Amino acid sequence: MTTTTDVPQTVPFFQRVIAPRWDNWQGALIVFVAGMALAIASLPPQVSFWASSALAALFAVTLIANAWGKYIGGLLVTPALALLFLMNVFPLVWSFGLSFFSYKANRARAPTWVGLDNYAKVLSDPDVWDRLHNTITLVIMTVSLQMVVGFLLALLFSKQFPLRRYLLILVLTPMMLSFVAVGAFFRYYYDPTFGLLSQAVRVFTGQPFILMNSVWGSRIGIVFADAWMWSPFVMLLVLAGLVSVPKYLYEAAAIDRVSGWRQFWSITFPYIRGLMLLALLFRTIEAFKLFDLVFLLTNGGPGTATETIALRVYRIAFENNKTSESTALAYILLFTVIVLTNLYLYFANERAREAPAS
Amino acid sequence: MTDMTVNAPAGSARAARTPLARRIRLGGSVSGVGEAGWGRTIGAAIVSLIYFFPVFWIILTAFKTYEDALAVPAKFFFTPTLENFAQVFSRAYSAGGPAVNTGFTLYFFNSLFISGVSVLLALAIGTLAAFGFSRYPLKGNDTYLFMILTTRMLPGIVVIIPIFIMFRVTGLAGTYAGIIALYTVFNLPFAIWMMKSFFDELSPDVEDAARIDGSSDVRVFFKICLPQVWAGLAATAVFGLILTWNEFLFALLLSGVETRTVPVAMSQTIGGDIGVRWGLLAAIETLFLIPVIIVTFALQNQLLRGVTFGTIKR
Amino acid sequence: MSTIELKGVTKHFGGFTAVKNVSLGVSAGEVVCLLGPSGCGKTTTLRIIAGLERASAGDVVIAGKRMNDLRPDQRDIAMVFQFYALYPALTVRENIMFPLHVEGLDAQTGSDRVARVARMLQLEPVLNRLPNHISEGEKQRVAVARAVVRDPNCFLFDEPLSRLDIELRQTMRGQIKSVLTGLSKATVIVTHDQLEALTMADRIAIMRDGVIEQIASPHEVFARPTTLFVASFIGTPQMNLLPAQFDGVEGPHGRFTVDGQPIRLPVDPAVKKLAKGQVTIGIRPRALIPDGAGSADTIAGRAELIEPMGAETLIHARTPLGSDLRVVVPREIKVKSGDALSLRTDARETHVFDSSGKAVRT
Repeated sequence: MTTTTDVPQTVPFFQRVIAPRWDNWQGALIVFVAGMALAIASLPPQVSFWASSALAALFAVTLIANAWGKYIGGLLVTPALALLFLMNVFPLVWSFGLSFFSYKANRARAPTWVGLDNYAKVLSDPDVWDRLHNTITLVIMTVSLQMVVGFLLALLFSKQFPLRRYLLILVLTPMMLSFVAVGAFFRYYYDPTFGLLSQAVRVFTGQPFILMNSVWGSRIGIVFADAWMWSPFVMLLVLAGLVSVPKYLYEAAAIDRVSGWRQFWSITFPYIRGLMLLALLFRTIEAFKLFDLVFLLTNGGPGTATETIALRVYRIAFENNKTSESTALAYILLFTVIVLTNLYLYFANERAREAPAS
Repeated sequence: MTDMTVNAPAGSARAARTPLARRIRLGGSVSGVGEAGWGRTIGAAIVSLIYFFPVFWIILTAFKTYEDALAVPAKFFFTPTLENFAQVFSRAYSAGGPAVNTGFTLYFFNSLFISGVSVLLALAIGTLAAFGFSRYPLKGNDTYLFMILTTRMLPGIVVIIPIFIMFRVTGLAGTYAGIIALYTVFNLPFAIWMMKSFFDELSPDVEDAARIDGSSDVRVFFKICLPQVWAGLAATAVFGLILTWNEFLFALLLSGVETRTVPVAMSQTIGGDIGVRWGLLAAIETLFLIPVIIVTFALQNQLLRGVTFGTIKR
Repeated sequence: MSTIELKGVTKHFGGFTAVKNVSLGVSAGEVVCLLGPSGCGKTTTLRIIAGLERASAGDVVIAGKRMNDLRPDQRDIAMVFQFYALYPALTVRENIMFPLHVEGLDAQTGSDRVARVARMLQLEPVLNRLPNHISEGEKQRVAVARAVVRDPNCFLFDEPLSRLDIELRQTMRGQIKSVLTGLSKATVIVTHDQLEALTMADRIAIMRDGVIEQIASPHEVFARPTTLFVASFIGTPQMNLLPAQFDGVEGPHGRFTVDGQPIRLPVDPAVKKLAKGQVTIGIRPRALIPDGAGSADTIAGRAELIEPMGAETLIHARTPLGSDLRVVVPREIKVKSGDALSLRTDARETHVFDSSGKAVRT
């Protein structure tokens, strides 16, 4: 912690805002916001983008001038925040605005105001509810499978044994792989003619087996691949909880003749409870966004049986070019994920507070 | 604990690891990890090998000839060939068909170049920001951090729609600059959260001491703080590389023919001409996976922190 | 001149006042210990001197210059931290060399100075090791070496010995004291260990709740504590403190009622001026001497628990109405549990504190 010299600000706010000084960031902010609004409203998009960028740069310069030597913290985080704002927050806010207009990216026609029509259309669309149902089905299946498999794997690796480190790598690898690679593998394994699955089934039935042809078959196919990939994630978290149980608690339990099931519930479980909740939330968030694997394995098929919300947004936006309608749907998805992320961080902080770094 | 013997044996010195390294060790007999013998090894080996089998089978397939890869029943024993690997980078392959350029030399270069540059940029900007968030908290510090992480957790498809339009308008679509800028922003929240979690673990006393010893803030950062988080910096860089290396959706929509990355190229080969050539596809995948597997091994101790974006350290 | 002066320094953390109006002067070559229980504001005071915290009010004057607004790196001070704060990525040699960077010395002079302090603190064999690879005692010496390698305005020590075991602490106490003696700098040491303060300090400042209760020599704070808190904080075993009713004086004696029983004790002449009312009588355990025959000038008690402490014996006694008394007697005096005791004391050893906790003394 360094001390910063705080000079009392006695100049009235209004005078400070209009002063043409390099460190007058409040003034620059007003110019930036007003100028950007004007530019977007009056200029063609090609020009307005660069005009807004220039104004943002001006704003950044004044912030830096203001912060130099005074607010080191602000100075350090500004580049990151500016970049995130420019490439993430600004586009999102812009697309949020767009969701109240009728706009198609492949038409030259200017957007027209439609209010909440897009949301009404999306929410009353039975297809959307059907895709939501698909998504939730997949989420429940894959997350519960991951939790169970991950937990069992963690139990297996919770003790020290020879070669543990190397075997652990074999199990941990899948979650580091690309969805595309995993999608490609499983397409190969699920292939009706020479796929391993089909061949294995043929040993018993004598018939080739086409997993991806039925609704539940394709769902199971996706869930299997996703759970294979992400059970190690759950394992990693549960394992962290298991190894954090102090040894002396087990020793005390042994002396107190507590064993087996009760030992697990009263000693082990409290240490992994928090992490299991975090794993559950994290995986739910990720599974809710499920896109790549579905896109590569089934592309939503058969029919639309495995089309998730994310895939639906992709279809509306990039195949049907109903841009503004897709943003309305996207915002519903976004809202859900923000709520879940909030919950996740709340519990993660809670856990960090309970067990401060020793 | 405190011995006055000046020449402490090197072995005991080595055993005294840094607290950081000790805390994030996964295994070891730190606490609660009981000992099990070779019996457990056998059980775990069986489970691990079954679990790893899909990856193993792909690597195996990469060494099979065109015919062996399509053999029914599947062949466990065959004469390995390096033909597939040669074909990935050769200008053309012609085994049984017309000579076609796979283009994967370019795609591998693109993947490396784009992830490399964007991770470096994200790391430079993110490390500064992480240091700021950790050492000079702003008003509403946690809110900023929450918003930063949220941008990373958002569904890619939601983020990509406006950016897609923005890139088309500004002419950034399909250029290296565009995709690198996007990946830099994509990696930034991760870099900030990871590096903040490492900076948070450093003792502030050490920095105070350096200040009292006459160091400016800049010197404190470069001489005192950075050297202590080298390992974290490396881990963050490698995780960033993997995340970018694996990323699919953004690349699918925003990379052009010349800037296409391996995942996009791979997805387009599935079902296409190369797609039928499972051996070749497997060779591409193998080349794509090997760096990731090596890195997973090297990063084992940082894996938990990495996959949770630095939100869980232990 | 190497001096430190605090003038009415106050520090608020939000609504909490950690340091209240502290004034303190340390002259060149003087060692002052800030002593007090945890949370008393002593470390905050030290950090204000160092410039790591900013005083909410008051002035910090170092080497005759007001330094309130200067950053730590502009104050030219050396500090030893409680957890040593060694730079983990630098070797011991680089650690000691680190503060010399600012002075812009040539390489030869720099390494000469490092060699000198390394010899002085017996660090030569570990100079090329990293801080994580040396023992706790060595870390402590490196921290001291890093401070004394410079020629700063003053030295600050934050609980320098708290992490060492008892044996090492004794050695280091002597070592630090001898190093400091040769340097004639103003030095402030923060500690919660009274033995450390009593042995190392020229003067001790005893703090409680952000206020300095007394600044005096080690002998003075022990023999003539000015407040009830200082009296109870300094000395082991703790001073006996008996709530009493003051009934006036009678020649050199004061008349008191303790536990409903009248007693007469020899007191300081200043007690004469005290109004009748509630007071606290403080008598150190070693100042209570068992006296064969009970009289009006002695305190009666019954031995309840005997703790042999080697050369001496600690007796826990109880007065008829239940107040506890600690009495330390030489080993030769044999007392059994249950024995009746009559305890005598003398005027210099009888401390009388008025109802506000101030010592009544000439």
